Amino acid sequence: MTPAQVPWAAWLLFASPVTAILLGFFVLRRKPEWTHLPILASCAIVTASAFALAARVYTGHSFDLNLFRFAEAGTWAIDFGLRVDGPGVAVLAMVAFVGSLIHLYAAGYMKGDPAFGRFFLIFHLFFLAMIGLLTANNFVQLYLFWELVGVCSYLLVGHYHQKESARKAALKAFMTNRVGDFGLLLALLLIVLQFKITHFHLLYLKVASGAAFELLPLIGLLLVWAACAKSAQFPLYFWLPDAMEGPTPTSALMHAATMVTAGVFLLVRAWPLLAVVPGLPDLIAWIGAFTALSAAIIAGTRKDLKRILAYSTVSHLGLMMLALGLGQVGVALFHLIVHGFFKAALFLCAGNIAHALHQPTANVDDVGGLQKSMRLTYLSFLLAACSLAGLFPFGGFFSKDAVLDAAWHRGGGLAAMGMLVAAGSAFYIFRMLFLAFYGCRPEQKRAPHAHEAEPILGVPVLFLALGAAAAGLLKGPIERFVTAGFRGLPSGLPGLEVVLNLPGEPLLPHLNMTVALLGTLMAALGAFAAWRLTMSDPGFDWRWRGGPVEALFDSDFGYKKLVDGFAAAVSRSAGFVGRVLDKGGVDGLVEGTTGFVRAAGGAIARSAQGRINDYLWWMLAGTAILVVRVLR
Amino acid sequence: MSHPLTILWAAPLAGAAVCAFLGARARYAALAFSALFAGLAGALVLTLLANPALSVVNELGPVWAYGISYRLSADSLSIGLIALTAFLNLICVAASWELDVPAAYWACFLALASALTGVFLARDLFLFYVFWEATLVPMFFIIGLWGSSNRLHAAVKFFLFTFAGSVFMLLALLALVSAHHRATGVWTWDLAALDASALGAAAPLVFWGLVLGFAVKIPMIPLHTWLPDAHTEAPAAGSVMLAGVMLKMGVYGLLRIALPLFPELSFSALPILGGLAAFSTIYGALCAMAQTDLKRMIAYSSIAHLGFCLLGVLSRTSQGLVGGTLQLVNHGLTTGALFLMVGFLYERTHKRGLSDFGDLASRAPYLAFFFGFSTLASIGLPGLNGFVGEFMALSGALSVLPILAFAGVLGVTLAAAYALPAFQAVFWAPAGPGSVSAQVADLNLRERAVLWTLTGLMLWIGLAPMPWLAFFEPALRGLVR
Repeated sequence: MTPAQVPWAAWLLFASPVTAILLGFFVLRRKPEWTHLPILASCAIVTASAFALAARVYTGHSFDLNLFRFAEAGTWAIDFGLRVDGPGVAVLAMVAFVGSLIHLYAAGYMKGDPAFGRFFLIFHLFFLAMIGLLTANNFVQLYLFWELVGVCSYLLVGHYHQKESARKAALKAFMTNRVGDFGLLLALLLIVLQFKITHFHLLYLKVASGAAFELLPLIGLLLVWAACAKSAQFPLYFWLPDAMEGPTPTSALMHAATMVTAGVFLLVRAWPLLAVVPGLPDLIAWIGAFTALSAAIIAGTRKDLKRILAYSTVSHLGLMMLALGLGQVGVALFHLIVHGFFKAALFLCAGNIAHALHQPTANVDDVGGLQKSMRLTYLSFLLAACSLAGLFPFGGFFSKDAVLDAAWHRGGGLAAMGMLVAAGSAFYIFRMLFLAFYGCRPEQKRAPHAHEAEPILGVPVLFLALGAAAAGLLKGPIERFVTAGFRGLPSGLPGLEVVLNLPGEPLLPHLNMTVALLGTLMAALGAFAAWRLTMSDPGFDWRWRGGPVEALFDSDFGYKKLVDGFAAAVSRSAGFVGRVLDKGGVDGLVEGTTGFVRAAGGAIARSAQGRINDYLWWMLAGTAILVVRVLR
Repeated sequence: MSHPLTILWAAPLAGAAVCAFLGARARYAALAFSALFAGLAGALVLTLLANPALSVVNELGPVWAYGISYRLSADSLSIGLIALTAFLNLICVAASWELDVPAAYWACFLALASALTGVFLARDLFLFYVFWEATLVPMFFIIGLWGSSNRLHAAVKFFLFTFAGSVFMLLALLALVSAHHRATGVWTWDLAALDASALGAAAPLVFWGLVLGFAVKIPMIPLHTWLPDAHTEAPAAGSVMLAGVMLKMGVYGLLRIALPLFPELSFSALPILGGLAAFSTIYGALCAMAQTDLKRMIAYSSIAHLGFCLLGVLSRTSQGLVGGTLQLVNHGLTTGALFLMVGFLYERTHKRGLSDFGDLASRAPYLAFFFGFSTLASIGLPGLNGFVGEFMALSGALSVLPILAFAGVLGVTLAAAYALPAFQAVFWAPAGPGSVSAQVADLNLRERAVLWTLTGLMLWIGLAPMPWLAFFEPALRGLVR
């Protein structure tokens, strides 16, 4: 394949967002309230292109080619290109569709914001970065977009930068990701050192050749570390709950489509490398299971609606990691895509609630009984919640069942934790549903002016919710995409027409009745517990607060303190190095010398009073003596 | 044009002389001569690009006593750095356009450009030394006459430090030349003719003497403490030239003199020199985190950035040498842009403390955009210039001494920890009670034009660095181990 044969759709994926952003930046400078118009058009083009490419891949026309040489020195070289294959295009189609609906929602939600234009430009750049990440054909190119995603999220989380909490959250998000990027950058350098190439497919082939690569375990570990930061897994998950300081559309985009999924996607791309490292897949699975369970527990105790959803994202990303660690690449992608739908819908519902209350964010004290006044939002929330909880026949049932099935086959702790997460997910999401939409408990402020959102806010949410409900239908196509991606091979690179038998099982598992029933039972149990603690005992949520138990949950079982302590220690040591060691120590020594010379000069000749002339003469004299010494 | 290289360094010097006589209208002459100089440098770049066979331009003048000769030569490394000098010089003139300064200000900048060009052209070591020292004089006056409150102290410190460093360099050069004379009976200062084998057991001493001279300039820790003072007190354009070109003299000296003359010694010194460079990347970042003055912070970040250049160059791999050299240009553009913007702030308010500002993102959106953009380039965001250089330099270091690359990657990580909080304090946080943000008007057309040029180059190098890498590569090929 040559660049001329690359389908138009692939170019449009980049050309239309870039054009829209440049238009918005340069041409619409005077009319910032129009910034969203070219951007929404670009969203439509991107979505159409993504589906066109998906259709091509579906019919067996995936491709992977190098376009240009990015950097070269001697024998060292890095090429950039395009890879449109199953896993990439499956996620891409979801990102394009969900992301476009969120753009549409944002056009309504952000209307009247003083920084509307800036917001939309960065928002779209965020989207573009994710598209680039999904179509990169090598690690360096992926890293480029990975970092761009990080910067955009920083700017968006800090959108309301007049608020200190927003500034702190933005910095925390960026710095935590930077700590993760330490791993990715080092992994990239090690990949270049070990393999001399960074191209995904060539790497797969090298690793599959069976030769021993002594650096591979370290590379794998570093990649997992990077993914833990981006995909908010323990021990680097803590930035994500704070990141909801950004405007709600940002949270929706970050949680559903463009940011946190990048880590999982990185591991999917690197999977053939990771799978051959003994013990590494298990580590990924355990990290995922542990994070999923802890985050689900914390989500069940939060008051802020967006914070509940944020912890829920952490939990669900954990499930994806669990599936991946168990070798189920397809399952991880399936859950990633379904999660994108229901999480976007849930966040936008939370946004609608906050919007109706005329608040930037809402917690359980502000809401209650919204079912009557916000019917459309209620309906959307209900659909998405059932999907998240994994109830039959909603989308989440199929993807979560697949994850649980994988864990079940492994058995032991992972299976038990998977089941507990199923119960926990149903608990926190139904607790949220009941607290927000039902009853109105005496502790809650009745929201008298709550009203349904205007259509531009309501309709995208409904579409997403319907998508979340029906996402189970995607099982077949995704299975085909995953197998197409890994077995249908890139053209255009010579010597690549070899079928790779990748580790793990790319096919999605069939419905296992035991697991399905058990999973549903757990979900029902969780939902029942939620009902019991919010509906039949309405005051419960307010009774248990204020004690040490709440402090325990509030501090994420003490982990937040540890992290803050670490950050403070780094900052203190910087203060020590900068003020004490450098200013006092090294520079003090230097300045001391001047004082010494000055004093000596004063002692030798009264005329030497620290004037430059005197130093110069002394130096010249000294130099002259030395020169003579050397030359003799 | 039978003497293109002579014209190249003489043109700005002539400009300096003209400026000195013109008085109030000197700025027009400065602009004209800077543009001429940039044009000449650009023409040389184009000549080289159009005719790759002509990769080295030589010029040989008279030979004087003791074998001292007028010997100039330009390969792509020299031409690249001269083009950087010419470009930044023009930027500096444009950025200082509205300053109320005497003719001498403009003359000093042109004289500095001339001396720097001479350093990059000279292939006779005596000539090299003369140009090297000549750069000190205009910079001394730029800091000492047009700097801020504590300028004299900073100027003296700068002068003494670098002069002390050059003394060791001079001694090393003398030892080298006299050893050559003892061995062959011929006096010569010709870089190509000299070789270090005549030194025998004294070779390490001479090598370290040279390194000391260059290390002060780079500056390598612990010889760096002149830099924060000099950068902070210098006028904005002075800081740009200081960071943008003068620091590069040190790395250039290593590349041009120390590495070719002492190939084995310099490689065996890698653990020490590379270790100091890697340490600089972390130490510079930590120091930068502790600063409360914007300019001081950027100055310390320079120490960290030059650490990456050194890591690459000292690794003696293709990617390290080319990446490290590209990083010299990158640092000139990025740090130059940052210093200019701090200068614009200082012109408006006479403040540069982090806590003196706030909320500038809404008051001066252009400034916020350019500052944010340059900050991201400076912390090595891929897609912008800093990443390419850092990545290649680290890749080179990793292949010879992995621990250096590990430390360097940690330095990359830490870079965000000073740059972003500073950005937030100045542009995002609400203006505090003592804030002078109200006096900050957004950038005018001239200032924006200057910054568009710089940021445009950052983006170009970041997205398509190949022309730049290919430009430098031939000159560095010989140094690859």
